[in-house]
Amino acid sequence: MLELRGLGKRYTVREREVVALAEVDLALPPGSFTVVVGRSGCGKSTLLRLLAGLTAPTTGEISHSRGRPTVGCVFQEPRLMPWLTVTGNVGFGLVGKVAKVEIAARVEAALALVGLADFRHAYPDQLSGGMASRVGLARALVLEPELLLLDEPFAALDAFTRRGLQGELTDIWLARRPTVVFVTHDVEEAVLLADEVVHMDGGRIIGRRPVPLPRPRDATDRELVALRRAILDDLSGSAGRRPQPAQDFLHRDPFLHRDPFLQQETTP
Amino acid sequence: MVADAHWRDIPSYERMAIPGLARHAGAACVLIALLAAWWLASAGGLVSAFLLPLPETVLATGWELISDGTLGAHVAVSIGRILAGYGLAVALALPLAFLFGVSPAARRAFEPVLEFLRQVPPLAMMPLLILWLGIGEAQKIGIIVLACFFPIFLGALGGIAQCDPKLVEVGRVCGLPQRDLLRRIVLPAALPSIVIGLRIALGQGWRALVGAELVASAAGLGYMIVDAEQLARTDIVIVGIFVIGTLGLLADFGVRRLIARTAPWLRQRTEITHA
Repeated sequence: MLELRGLGKRYTVREREVVALAEVDLALPPGSFTVVVGRSGCGKSTLLRLLAGLTAPTTGEISHSRGRPTVGCVFQEPRLMPWLTVTGNVGFGLVGKVAKVEIAARVEAALALVGLADFRHAYPDQLSGGMASRVGLARALVLEPELLLLDEPFAALDAFTRRGLQGELTDIWLARRPTVVFVTHDVEEAVLLADEVVHMDGGRIIGRRPVPLPRPRDATDRELVALRRAILDDLSGSAGRRPQPAQDFLHRDPFLHRDPFLQQETTP
Repeated sequence: MVADAHWRDIPSYERMAIPGLARHAGAACVLIALLAAWWLASAGGLVSAFLLPLPETVLATGWELISDGTLGAHVAVSIGRILAGYGLAVALALPLAFLFGVSPAARRAFEPVLEFLRQVPPLAMMPLLILWLGIGEAQKIGIIVLACFFPIFLGALGGIAQCDPKLVEVGRVCGLPQRDLLRRIVLPAALPSIVIGLRIALGQGWRALVGAELVASAAGLGYMIVDAEQLARTDIVIVGIFVIGTLGLLADFGVRRLIARTAPWLRQRTEITHA
């Protein structure tokens, strides 16, 4: 069980305190698929960054029943290393941690899973957007994560590619059962994927809706459409609570002269 | 499986390339036009043959200098100086850039001094270097070091500073310690800027070399040019200029070939015209 207790994140911007996340309590059962929805700047990406360990909470704590879980993270942009081939990118997180033979085997398995085995020697420049996103997914999966975090991973893709990758993600989750936290502002995507949809606004969780629908799901299914409409109604109801823009000045990278989190956090 | 297997196997820079002979036709036309203009200006008497000898005269002089070994000896001396000066500049600039990259405190402390030195043209330092190092090899190599240092240093420092923080985050999520973030993400990400700095420095090195060899020298291409100027041998001066230009082009071509063979992903990112 992954538990978030009183998890909060505040920033100080020009001597003004900004609350990005306000004491969130959340319990995620192992193997669950939780989708966090909300408007831009509602704190959902901050929540994901805290779960990924990319930033430290100001208040509260995160605990996992099995100590520190293995985390895999898929970002909105694929974030592939241009100097590495697809194989190099997928195995990036394993280098130095497991034997080369095992890296090769796990990379091959992950590439087969996302359908990129034929492109193992390609460089990121040579991939389409959908293929690059799949490499990003494979890079996270190869770590065999107990906790898989996805921050709007398919947002920049066309509808056709997005639908295909949503199906692939569901299949992978059903096969491996990691605990998934998926952030999106697309409510249809949320109900297609989730066990439970968590609705955030103003840095708080303001609603939770289970999605007790069988898989595979169809976006035109009546129950799914009704659920989608209900969540959209929830979102409309919370339109008044606009969060403040946030910047993370707390964790400067010592050798980059720039805050690696700054761009992400300042995105409204 | 998603049917988006749009295999863009041709990189954008190659897709834009014009195939075969047509690719070089433009450059060949410009070269031929320049040679024709030179020949017309000289043969037609627009410019005195003393100031601008005919192309065939220059060619004959070049062949003569090659045959008697004069050119080879001067080229060998100049290349030796370039290698020593360039090598020293690389050995100094890269570690210093990495140190400043990982230590903002060191960068802040040294930045004013380095910024001051960067403003001083290397040739302006020549009198001081002659006084300090004498008129031997050390002074000439010193000038090349000064000329090459800043392009390499600034290229590396800029590359480190401009490393995409989002890539660093990928490393953090993978649990990489700080030294591995530097080694496996920051340095490779800085490589395009480093290579551009190295290429620019190579050109600067050749320019500084000739300047250094113009003063108090007994060998080298710069000396050959100055000596020819004093003997009013414009043909030798032009041969010297062509040789310097050709050697610079060959060195740059070598670096580009090396990049294409060892790191194909760098090719597009290290074109100086795209920098």
